[in-house]
Amino acid sequence: MNGKKGGVNIFELIKKVVFTDFVKGLMVTLGYNATKSITLKYPDQEKWIPYRRFRGLHTLNRDEKGRELCVACELCSKACPTQCITVIPMEDDTGRGISDRVARVWKVDLVRCLFCGYCEDACPTRALRLGRDYELACTDSSCNLKQREELLVPQAVPESFEGGVVASSTFIVTPAGIRIKADLAKTKRRNW
Amino acid sequence: MEQIFFYIFATIAVLSAIGVISVRNPVHSAFYLMVTLLQVAAIFILLRSPFLAAVQVFIYVGAIMVLFLFAVMVLDIGKEELTEAFNQQSVIAIPAVVVMLALIAYMIIGGKLSAPVGGYTDGILIGHGTEVLGKELYTKYLFPFEVVSILLLVALVGAIVLVMKDRQG
Amino acid sequence: MPDISLIATLALMVIKVLVITMILFMLPLPLTYVERKVAGHIQVRLGPWRVGPHGLLQPFADMIKLILKEDIVPDKADKFLFKLAPFMAMIPAFAVYAAIPFGDKWTIPFLDRQVSLYITDMNVGILYVLAISGLGVYGLIFGGWSSNSKYALIGGLRSSAQMISYEIAVSFSAIGVVLLSKSLSLVEIVKHQGGTILHWNFFYLPVGPVWFFIFLIGATAEINRVPFDLPEDEGTLGAGFHTEYSGMRFAFFMLSEYVAMVTVSVMSVVLFFGGWNAPFNIPFVPPILWFIGKVILFIYFFMWLRFTLPRYRYDQLMTIGWKILIPVSLVNLIITGLMKI
Repeated sequence: MNGKKGGVNIFELIKKVVFTDFVKGLMVTLGYNATKSITLKYPDQEKWIPYRRFRGLHTLNRDEKGRELCVACELCSKACPTQCITVIPMEDDTGRGISDRVARVWKVDLVRCLFCGYCEDACPTRALRLGRDYELACTDSSCNLKQREELLVPQAVPESFEGGVVASSTFIVTPAGIRIKADLAKTKRRNW
Repeated sequence: MEQIFFYIFATIAVLSAIGVISVRNPVHSAFYLMVTLLQVAAIFILLRSPFLAAVQVFIYVGAIMVLFLFAVMVLDIGKEELTEAFNQQSVIAIPAVVVMLALIAYMIIGGKLSAPVGGYTDGILIGHGTEVLGKELYTKYLFPFEVVSILLLVALVGAIVLVMKDRQG
Repeated sequence: MPDISLIATLALMVIKVLVITMILFMLPLPLTYVERKVAGHIQVRLGPWRVGPHGLLQPFADMIKLILKEDIVPDKADKFLFKLAPFMAMIPAFAVYAAIPFGDKWTIPFLDRQVSLYITDMNVGILYVLAISGLGVYGLIFGGWSSNSKYALIGGLRSSAQMISYEIAVSFSAIGVVLLSKSLSLVEIVKHQGGTILHWNFFYLPVGPVWFFIFLIGATAEINRVPFDLPEDEGTLGAGFHTEYSGMRFAFFMLSEYVAMVTVSVMSVVLFFGGWNAPFNIPFVPPILWFIGKVILFIYFFMWLRFTLPRYRYDQLMTIGWKILIPVSLVNLIITGLMKI
């Protein structure tokens, strides 16, 4: 309504009688109805591979010779704001690690972890990285605690892969559980 | 065949009418009244008046009963108020009801409850019942029709006036 | 002695009733699927996708879920009405189809016998449809009241108030159609619109479109679709009148709602868009296909509407009903009467 008191704006009235706004709204939704969906067909056909800056599940790296980079300095656990990382060091001169101090226990409690990334910043040897695995759900609490042995296994998306793409994937259902296998060779940019 | 249907509808109508006045819960009463009205509509169909049947369902069951229910649900009549309504009335009511039933029985047995059959046969009524009704209503019975409309208008205005007064006070 | 033709007629009647009832029972399966797909695509999503190819088996999964779900009756509920209410909502929704004409007479090939594509041709068909479809509101009211829950009660109250307010406008538009077609029988109304597209009631200018929009708005309010879905207002009432229902009883409410939506689509087609009459003279397209096509367009329209408009406020609802639709329909009635003299 405009400011004029008592006066009826004929133009506004005609607009109301022929449902202009209403038709405009319908046209907008009809337009969206005809556009292509932006939903990723995850997990059956597509999977989002994040950028490198993504902070997912922790991963412990090795150097080129296959030695553990972790020197169990405990800086990560000191830097952790939620105290979810436990490191117990031990001496080892068999060449498992890059120095004679390696981790006997390196575990992270994922329920408490808030994926802030302070631990990887604190790491002096770049042993610890927050990787790009984000499918962390499970049906019991056993998977909340990740041990060193598990984290030393290289993750599906290597550090060299740039990311920020949609990879085609297959959804594998086995009695042991479900798994999504992404094919990093077949990727495409997101279309929005 | 029609007789059987009539007795089915009539029995349900009478039973549910008894239900209307015997159950204590007003919403259940309304439910039974709805059943009664539907049965009456069915009897109208047996009487070759589909128009009246449809209007019965449309107006009484579809609109007026919904209004009743709306009022009943909003008012939230407690059980105490309902029992209080039965004070000393039965002393007068029972003889009055007995006398009325006796009168009705007398008239039915004496054959005095009959009206002359009009000039309309089944054939006309089945196909053109609505037309006949409409023409009669708007030509021969126009004056009573208008009187009824004015009565309803008066009732409407009266109801609004009553509510307005209530709001001022 | 009952002769063979009487038995054949009776058998035909029973078959027709069974076929239509089965179709109506099965209707929510495709309709829920289509509604979700339309919702998905309007919101630039996919909709059901994972159960079966393109999510086609989703309605069956839902059906299994609803059947297996526990049937909960609240402890303090009015058990009698609570159990009866879903049926009171469902039976009128189905009973309406006794009078709806899907097509004209049709000759069965090889048998040389004519079959009419409607159950009965009532001479008060339009009144019957309006009256019976109006009864469906009892299921909502009794369901809401008997649940003994505040949300359900408010939902039931709203549905009754909405019903009363919009029933008047819808019946006025029915009167308008009766004036245009000069008959109360739905078959006659459709036959009157035969010929070219310009004979349709919608194109009886200038009153036809006005009657249509009054009917459409009023009917949308009566079947509780968006933007008039106040009885089941998810935002403020939980789920409205069926908050306390679960399992199959809830499914019956949903079924009756979908059937009511189809009824309104069918009635719009029959009253305003020429029923089974073809808009253009295209050979080899049977009339029933035209009918189904128009109904499908209307069903899509209702879904489209649902994901476009927000919900009206309760006072706006009452304003639209009493201050706009009823005066407009009264004026339109006078104009139609004058045009038809």
